Amino acid sequence: MTSIAPGAPPAGAPRTPAPPAPLRVALVGNPNTGKSTVFNALTGMRQKVGNFPGVTVERLEGNYRDEDGRLVTVLDLPGSYSLSPHAPDEAIALDVLLGRAEGVPPSDVIVVVVDAHNLDRNLFLTSQLLELGLPLVVALNQMDAAAGAGIRIDVPELIHELGVAVIPTVATRGEGIDALRRAIARAPGFPRPARQFALDAAAAANIAPLESALRDTGLAPAVASLEALRLLAHVNPEDPHRYGAAVEHALQRARAELAAHGVNAHALEAERRYHWITGVMQRTVQRPPPGGRSMSDRVDRVLLHRVGGPLIFLALMAVVFQSIFTWAQPLMTRVGAFFDWLGVTVGAYLPAGDLRSLVQDGIIGGVGSVLTFLPQIAILFLCIGILEDSGYMARAAYLMDRYMRRVGLHGRSFIPLLSGYACAVPAIMSTRSIEEPKDRIATIMVVPLMSCSARLPVYTLLIAAFVPGLTLYGLFDLRGVTLLVMYLLGTVTAFLVAWVFRRTLLRGPTRPLIIEMPPYRLPRIRPLAMSVWQRAMLFVRRAGTIILSLSVVLWALATYPHTHSAPGTPAAAAQEAQLSNSALGHVGHAIEPAVRPLGYDWKIGVSIAASFAAREVFVSTMSTIYGVGDADTAGTRALRDRLRDERNPATGARAYTPLVAVGLMVFYVFAMMCMSTMAVTVRESGGGRTGWKWAAVQFGYMLVIAYGAAWLVYHGGRALGYAG
Amino acid sequence: MIRRWLQTKREAAAAKADCALPQGCQHECALSACAVGGQAIVVRVSCSHHDACRLRALGVYEGARVRVVDTRHGLILDVRGSRLALGTALARLISVLPLAA
Repeated sequence: MTSIAPGAPPAGAPRTPAPPAPLRVALVGNPNTGKSTVFNALTGMRQKVGNFPGVTVERLEGNYRDEDGRLVTVLDLPGSYSLSPHAPDEAIALDVLLGRAEGVPPSDVIVVVVDAHNLDRNLFLTSQLLELGLPLVVALNQMDAAAGAGIRIDVPELIHELGVAVIPTVATRGEGIDALRRAIARAPGFPRPARQFALDAAAAANIAPLESALRDTGLAPAVASLEALRLLAHVNPEDPHRYGAAVEHALQRARAELAAHGVNAHALEAERRYHWITGVMQRTVQRPPPGGRSMSDRVDRVLLHRVGGPLIFLALMAVVFQSIFTWAQPLMTRVGAFFDWLGVTVGAYLPAGDLRSLVQDGIIGGVGSVLTFLPQIAILFLCIGILEDSGYMARAAYLMDRYMRRVGLHGRSFIPLLSGYACAVPAIMSTRSIEEPKDRIATIMVVPLMSCSARLPVYTLLIAAFVPGLTLYGLFDLRGVTLLVMYLLGTVTAFLVAWVFRRTLLRGPTRPLIIEMPPYRLPRIRPLAMSVWQRAMLFVRRAGTIILSLSVVLWALATYPHTHSAPGTPAAAAQEAQLSNSALGHVGHAIEPAVRPLGYDWKIGVSIAASFAAREVFVSTMSTIYGVGDADTAGTRALRDRLRDERNPATGARAYTPLVAVGLMVFYVFAMMCMSTMAVTVRESGGGRTGWKWAAVQFGYMLVIAYGAAWLVYHGGRALGYAG
Repeated sequence: MIRRWLQTKREAAAAKADCALPQGCQHECALSACAVGGQAIVVRVSCSHHDACRLRALGVYEGARVRVVDTRHGLILDVRGSRLALGTALARLISVLPLAA
């Protein structure tokens, strides 16, 4: 279709061809098909993370320009096994594909990523997508794994069976991606796909009135047929109401008539689709004759052993935490040294006074003290990524289901809980894969008890300052073991709290475990590195925004008003006086009565108060407090030494004993000190008043446990004679 | 609590003895009662509609053939070439007809 727009260039003038209209692509697929890798391969680093309007389901969009210079926007939809939504993220995928998601423009092309190694089960979703009547391209991914398993797929025959373009890809190596881009560009010009199987005449006649009622609501005939089968199979009380009373009535009638003919309406869709899939598989796929156990089965014999399985799981977790502490150390030392150098170098160009102090102590000291922990956080994300990509994460959920169930949690709760070790925000968002609302809210309530990466700077600082570097049994470093104990403390408490919630506020049955076990695979370096990079950059951005602003504010509070000490006053005493009389000092003294029973002084009180917004700010606050007035000692290493050497000016005794340090770590294990987590809890637990209620419950119970546990450690330790 | 645990174990053993015949049996039993390596045809999915719908989408529908791969922590099934893990409680609600070995 052409049109002449007002103001078009006159005939004869040189014409520049108008760029083709942008194309919107929806990327769908089962979990574990390499969908994210296809998305990354298509869009490179041009990605934007956001949320779908009104819900916290992550919306990942990227774009590229095709050969014609056309802008193609790719929307990566949540992984889904079918178009029957069982969880909020699957519901979003369905709404986007049906073009009824609020704030999301309709898609021009659908790309379904299917696992060539597991084509059979993946064709279920594909068969549903064919009926949407939108241009569809099939990315037949992981062709290398299929070939390795001796599976041969007749691609031209598969194209013939499905009636759409099928592009073999190995997204991890970028193979087939150009062909996929070309197929996407051409797809709108291809004939529209349609249902490839027919229902029995009797069943079709029984369903016809329902299809007609759906068409009357404005659905296209093909989509009405798809929706009819889906509504018959899926019992979701909200679904029929989307279409009104006429559809609800037709649905009940169709169910009754099918039952009268001996047809199970709920099983009709699965039975017909899988019947068709069986035929397609017979005509297009050659498999090697079944011979014994697969490699994954053999590995599972060991990793899922009745006794050995949980022990191996615990050993793997121990290795993860040990590596976080030991592997990261040399890198952390270098990052710390870099910020030391940067502070001194920049300071040399600035006149002595407030400006130098602001840059050196407030900005470089504050942000640097948090960024020092970037290597540890990257290693944690790397470990979680390896567990996910290798296929072990699903096994861990399966192994843990029995234990999770005892405290009223679901096996699927395990993955959000484990992700909570990295960051509670994505962990809480990942609870959307848990179907039952009470299971989901119980998981959300306890996820922040898992020690996230933001607690790591606090633990590392205090452990390095107060726990001796002894070796236990010639194998484990006492510092690594202490770190593991902190993580275990949070984890065990999370289970206990979940047990209490499921017997009080969230009483009800737990949904059974249904989880796919993907075959074991060697994680690919490039996608893994990309995922670690993206997550690490989120942490850096946070350091560059929230922590930078708080560092500057805290520096100002610690610097003003100035206290002029008499000439000849020792530097340490002058610094103490400056801090004590500053605005921050006044806040600290006001807080001191509340934290004194825990053995803390006003400086720790200030750091705790400052870190209510983000717990890693504790370190930058301590760094700012101890950096003020002492330009030569920036950086975490110096801070560690300063904490160790800090003396009470009145008594001369050590201000921070190992007992205080352990109490402080325990406080941070339990305390809910993260605005971002609170915000995501509000939205994920229902939003509005309900969301705020759950966020308040979460904040309150965690603060009570934190205060109580820290008090118990301090007073219990003293009662047992560990005064120093 | 111990008595309840022993009772559960006895019931599970009885169910297994009843149905997990290596040469296959001709009557329905719970999927949870099938032995490792046993194949069966799904007869009924009696769990909640929500779970049944998910199971059917994953290939566990009335008439589907499944093979039990592992029973140590729950149940791992071979469903159309992919591995599906189910909790034991759910597997008790799926009725199957075991096939001859």
